[in-house]
Amino acid sequence: MTYTDWLRADRLPHIYCAGCGNGTVINCTLNAVVQAGLKKEETVFVSGIGCSSRAPGYIVTDSLHTTHGRALAFATGIKMANPALSVIVFTGDGDLAAIGGNHFIHACRRNIDLTVVCMNNMIYGMTGGQGSPTTPRMALSTTTPYGSAEPAFDLCELAIAAGANYVSRWTSYHVKELTRAILAGLRTPGLSFIEAMVQCPTNFGRRNRYRQPLDQVEYFKAHGMLVEKVRRMQEEGREIPPDTIVLGELARRNRPAMGVKP
Amino acid sequence: MKLVIDEKRCKGCNLCTMVCPYKIYKPGKKPNERGIVVPELDRPERCPNCRLQALYGRTLCGMCQMICPDQAISWVDEKPGEKKKVAIEF
Repeated sequence: MTYTDWLRADRLPHIYCAGCGNGTVINCTLNAVVQAGLKKEETVFVSGIGCSSRAPGYIVTDSLHTTHGRALAFATGIKMANPALSVIVFTGDGDLAAIGGNHFIHACRRNIDLTVVCMNNMIYGMTGGQGSPTTPRMALSTTTPYGSAEPAFDLCELAIAAGANYVSRWTSYHVKELTRAILAGLRTPGLSFIEAMVQCPTNFGRRNRYRQPLDQVEYFKAHGMLVEKVRRMQEEGREIPPDTIVLGELARRNRPAMGVKP
Repeated sequence: MKLVIDEKRCKGCNLCTMVCPYKIYKPGKKPNERGIVVPELDRPERCPNCRLQALYGRTLCGMCQMICPDQAISWVDEKPGEKKKVAIEF
C-alpha cells in the first residue's frame, strides 16, 4: 500500500496555490502513516482553520475541521473518548500559535498522545497575508508594511518548555527527514510536535523577495542547520548566523502521558 | 515502470526540477490547455526508480513524488508489449 491510497482522488487537484508547501507535508504525513501501519478506520485527522487546515479534506479517513485554534481541544476530546484511535492534528502557525496558543501549551503540559504537525508558513496565508506571531523580524506583510518589529515565536522552544515528549523541526525541502520525524512522532507516546516550515509564494514570498516557490525552498536549503551542528558551534563559542533555521530532533523524553493506546 | 506527470493535477511550480538528482525534469515551454506550463521530461528512462523498482520491490529515491505538492508525479507499469527505452550513462 502506498500513501496515494489515502488521498481522496476525486477531490484533487487541491485548492492550494502553485508551489505551496502544504501539499508536500500531506505527502510526508501520509507516507509516515503508511509506514507506521495505521488503519484507515482507526486514524483521525483534526484541523482548525487556515490553509494548512484544509488538508484533512483530501484524506480518506475520518476527519474534523474545527473552529479557529481549537483543533487541539477537539483532538483532546477524541483521544479521551476513545484512546484506541490514532489522532493526528494538522495545524498552521496562526491556528496554533496565535489563536490556539493556550490550547497548545496546555496540550503539551497534559502530554496527550497526539501527533501535531504544524505547517509554519510564517504568515496568515488564507486571509490575505497578515503578520502572524511567527513572521520573522523585518519581514513584510499587509499588517507590517514597514517590516515586522516584533521578534518571532519559536514554537519548538515553546513545546519543549511546556513539556511535549517529542519535538522536531524540518522544512518542506527535507522530505525524507520530515517523514522520519513524523514516523518517530507517531511511535512516541505523549504529545509529539513536528514543525514543518513551508513556503508561501503567494502571500509571504511575493512580499519578501521569494516570488518563485523555488526561491524560498532554496532559502530553506541554504539556511537550515542541524541542531547537532548548532550545539557544537555554541560549545566552540562560534557565532551562529542570525537567520539560521535550527533543524532536527530537538527533544525526546519520557514524561508521563495521557490517553496512550491501551 | 515509467514516469508520468498528471497534467490535470500539476500546477507548474517546478519544484521537481530542483530536487531530481538526475535533472530529468526541465521547465516546460508551452502552456497546456489549462494554461499551465507543465515540466518536460528529459530522458525519463534514466530514473533509478523506473529501472530498479521492480527489482528491489520498494520505491528508490522518490524525491520528486514526495516533494510534489499537487501529487501529480507517479510511476505506472507499461502496457504489455509497449516499447521500452534504455539509457546507459558513463
